[in-house]
Amino acid sequence: MLALLFILFAGMAIGCALAVVAQRNPLYSAISLIGVFVSLACLYVMLAAPFIAAVQVIVYAGAIMVLVVFVIMLLNVEQEERRRNRLKFLVPAAVVLAAVLIAEVAFMLQSVANPTPAVSNIGLTGSIGAQLFTRYLLPFEITSILLLMAIVGAMTLARRGGLLSSEARLVPGAQQLPLSMVDPRATPDDLTLVETDSSEEAARLLGVDPRNTERD
Amino acid sequence: MEPQLSWYLALSAVLFTIGVTGVIIKRNVIAMFMCIELMLNAVNLTFVAFASFFQDVIGQLFVFIVMTVAAAEAAVGLGIIIAIFRNRESLDVDEASILKL
Amino acid sequence: MDTAIDIILKFVAITVAFVVVLLVVAYTVLAERRVLGFIQGRLGPNRVGYGGVLQPFADLLKFILKEDIVPDKSTRFIYFLAPVIATMAALMTMIVYPFGPEIRIPFTSISIPLVIAHFDVGLLYVLGITSIGVYGIMLAGWSSNNKYSLMGGLRSSAQMISYELALGLSLIGVIMLAGTLDLAQIVDQQSGWHGARWNIIYQPLGFVVYLIAAIAETNRVPFDLPEAETELVAGFHTEYSAMKFALFFLAEYINMFTVSMLATTLFWGGWNVPIIDLFLDRGSFLFGLISALGFLFKVCVFLFVYIWLRGTLPRFRFDQLMSFGWKILLPLALLNIFITASAIYFFL
Repeated sequence: MLALLFILFAGMAIGCALAVVAQRNPLYSAISLIGVFVSLACLYVMLAAPFIAAVQVIVYAGAIMVLVVFVIMLLNVEQEERRRNRLKFLVPAAVVLAAVLIAEVAFMLQSVANPTPAVSNIGLTGSIGAQLFTRYLLPFEITSILLLMAIVGAMTLARRGGLLSSEARLVPGAQQLPLSMVDPRATPDDLTLVETDSSEEAARLLGVDPRNTERD
Repeated sequence: MEPQLSWYLALSAVLFTIGVTGVIIKRNVIAMFMCIELMLNAVNLTFVAFASFFQDVIGQLFVFIVMTVAAAEAAVGLGIIIAIFRNRESLDVDEASILKL
Repeated sequence: MDTAIDIILKFVAITVAFVVVLLVVAYTVLAERRVLGFIQGRLGPNRVGYGGVLQPFADLLKFILKEDIVPDKSTRFIYFLAPVIATMAALMTMIVYPFGPEIRIPFTSISIPLVIAHFDVGLLYVLGITSIGVYGIMLAGWSSNNKYSLMGGLRSSAQMISYELALGLSLIGVIMLAGTLDLAQIVDQQSGWHGARWNIIYQPLGFVVYLIAAIAETNRVPFDLPEAETELVAGFHTEYSAMKFALFFLAEYINMFTVSMLATTLFWGGWNVPIIDLFLDRGSFLFGLISALGFLFKVCVFLFVYIWLRGTLPRFRFDQLMSFGWKILLPLALLNIFITASAIYFFL
C-alpha cells in the first residue's frame, strides 16, 4: 500500500520535473514545478515529516512560486526560440549525460544498507521545535539574519532609479504629480499641477533623466 | 513491501539529474532558476529520507534551513533578473555575453 | 494502516461534508442577496419558492445552461485550469475542521469523531492550501488575455499574499496558548467553564487582526477592489462565463465559509455550546447534535457579519489597502505575539 503511494507520488514528481525541463513556455514550467513541490510534500508526509511537508507547501509552492509566476507575468516572458546551429548538440548531449549519471547512481545504490524505519514521532512540530530552539539555536538565528539580508538586498535592487521609477512616463503637457517629488517637506497626498511644453522640460524640472520619457 | 531508503535516494538522484539537465539545456534565466530550485528540492528529499530512516531530526532541521536559504535566494535572484531585463530587454542567457573576450 | 471500514467511513464523511458545504454556500448566496436587499431598503429575490428558498437551484440551472464563451486568444490550458485550482484549494481545507465532539451512535458502541482528518499540523495545512488558492486568481487574470483581468488578477494576488502574512501571524497567539497546531485539540482546550475559556477573551487583538486579514484574503468588501464592477469590469473573472464563473463564485463563498469556520474554531470555542454540558454528558448523540448545530450557528453569525460589511462599508483604494496590510496590520499582529508571549511567560 505504501509502495503504491510511493510509486504514485514519485511518478508525479518525475513527470512534472520532466515537464519543467521540456516545456518551452516558462509559465508552464512554473506550473509543473508547483506540481513537483506538491508531490514532494506528499512524500514528506509519508516520511513522518508532516511539519516539513506543510512548510514546503506554504514556502515553496505558496510563496516562492507565486513570486516566480508574478515575475513571469510582469516581464511577459515569451517562449524560447529554437536554438541556433552552433549549440544544437547540447540537448542530446545533456540527455545522454543525464542517463549516464542515473546509471552510476543506480549502481551505487545496489550496495546501500536498508535500515528498517520505525514508526516515529520525530517529525511532529513539537519535536522539531524542541531541537530547533535549544540545540540548533545558532543556525536558526543566523538564518534570520540571512533573511534580513535578503530583504534589504531585494529592496535595494528594486529601488534602482531613485525617486522616479522606470514605470513612470512623462508626457508633454500638464503633469499632475505628487508635490513630494519637488518639495521634500510635502506629504505624499499633496498634489501640484505643473504645466510643461515638452517631456524634456518636465524631466529637467524634476531633475530626472530626460531619456526616461516617451514621445506621444 | 515498504518503500526502502534506496528508493527515496534513487528518486532524489533522478530529480537532481533532471534539474542539472535543465540548467544545461534552458536558455531562459527564469527557467534555469526553476531548475536550480528543483535540485534544491531533490537534496531536501534526501535529507528528509535520511532523517526518517535513521531517526535523527537534524535532517529535517537542515531542510528547514535549506528552504529558508532558497526563499532568500529567490527574492534576491528574481530582483537581479528583473534588473537584467530592464537593461537588456531579453532574458536569454546566451545573449548576455558582453563580458566575453 | 486503516481497515476497509475506516476508509469507507472516511468517504462517507467526506461526501457528507461536501454536501453540507455546498448547501450552506448556496444558501449563503441567497442570504446575501436578501440581507443586502433589506440593508438597502428593498426585498431580495423572493419569488422562486416560498420567500426565495429555491433560488439557489434556479441559479444553478442558469449557470449550467448558459452558453460557455471562451476567448479566442486566451491560453486555453491555463484558462480551464484556473477555476479548478481555485475551487479545489477552497474545498480541500474542509477536512480539518471539527464539526463536533465524538458522537456515540445510539444503541451501538461505535463512536465517530466529527472531524474528517486529524492532522498534527492542521492549522499549517489550512494556511498552505489557502496559499495555493492565490494561483487560481493569478492564472485566471493572466490567461484571459484582457487588460482588466490581468490588472485585477495581479492586484488581487498581491493583496492576498500581503494579507496572508498578517493572517498567519495573528494565529500564532492562539497556537501559543493552545500549544498545538491540531484544530480538534484547540477546540477541546476551549471546553469547560461555559465559554470562559474561549480564546476570544484571551486574544481580542488577535481576533480583530485575523478577521480583517481574512476578509482581505477572501477578496470581500471593503477589500474587493480587484473584482469591483465599477473599477475593473469584473476583475479577474471578466472573461469567464457559465460554469467556470460559477466555480469562481463558489470558490469565493467557500473561502468565506472557511474563514468563518476557522474564526469559530480558533476564537469562539468551536462546537462548545455553553450551558448544555450541565445536563448532557459528552459523547451522547444529543450533545453531539446540539454542538454541531451550535457550530453552524456561530459560523452563520460570521457569514452574516460578512454580508453586513458588504452592505455598509465603502471599499479601499489599492494603495490604501496595501499600506494598511503592511504598515498597520502586520505590526499589530507582531505586537499581539509579543504581548501573548510576555503574558504566558509571566503569568503561566
